[in-house]
Amino acid sequence: MNASDPDHLLTRTLAEWHVSPPPNPRFRAAVWARLEAARSAPTWAGYIGAHAVPVAGALAIAVMVGGLIGRGQARARVAAERATMVNSYVQALDARTMRMP
Amino acid sequence: MKNFLITLGVALAACAVAFGVFYAINDQPALRLAARDGDAMAWLRAEFRLSDAQFADVKKLHDDYSVRCGEHCAAIMAAKQRVAPAAEIAALEKTCVEAMTGHFDRVAALLPPGEGARYLAMVLPRITDFDHNGAPTVQVRP
Repeated sequence: MNASDPDHLLTRTLAEWHVSPPPNPRFRAAVWARLEAARSAPTWAGYIGAHAVPVAGALAIAVMVGGLIGRGQARARVAAERATMVNSYVQALDARTMRMP
Repeated sequence: MKNFLITLGVALAACAVAFGVFYAINDQPALRLAARDGDAMAWLRAEFRLSDAQFADVKKLHDDYSVRCGEHCAAIMAAKQRVAPAAEIAALEKTCVEAMTGHFDRVAALLPPGEGARYLAMVLPRITDFDHNGAPTVQVRP
């Protein structure tokens, strides 16, 4: 293998290459701080407890909105079907609308 | 932030559940089924919560009336085919309307208390709203 071969040069450079980052004196402290933050983060139950009033309000509004929309949609559909059926029912008994075969 | 998103998800789920529950409470599946099948008698039974005996009586009334209705229909069509005077056709149609109104009154009398008035409030305006639109497609005698 020729010493001037680019592959050889690259291999040698990589073998001799050492990274020496400056040590972070706050590394351990930062790790512990993150651990502590994760440990002290409120659970969902704790979050709910801490925001009971707005959460209850939001849930009440969500239930009310969902209920009103559901009720309205069902009633509108029933009313439309009822109107169609009444029209068909009356027409079926109305000799004026009939056609001879 | 994570807790807020969880709360938001729970609120949306509650909204969806409330929608479903209220939709189901206010829905009338029997009516929908009758409408889908175009079955007027099934609609009548579901709409006015008829018992078997009431339904049988109403059905008999309809069966009897359909014979008269057919006669009226034939008379009106015959008059139109021979291009009878408008007054004659109007008289035949008037007879038809009177027969229909009488039939609806008799049906209303067979319905449960309170339902008769509701029935008449539904059907009578449709007689006067008649606009000569096509032939019916509904089953009157299933």
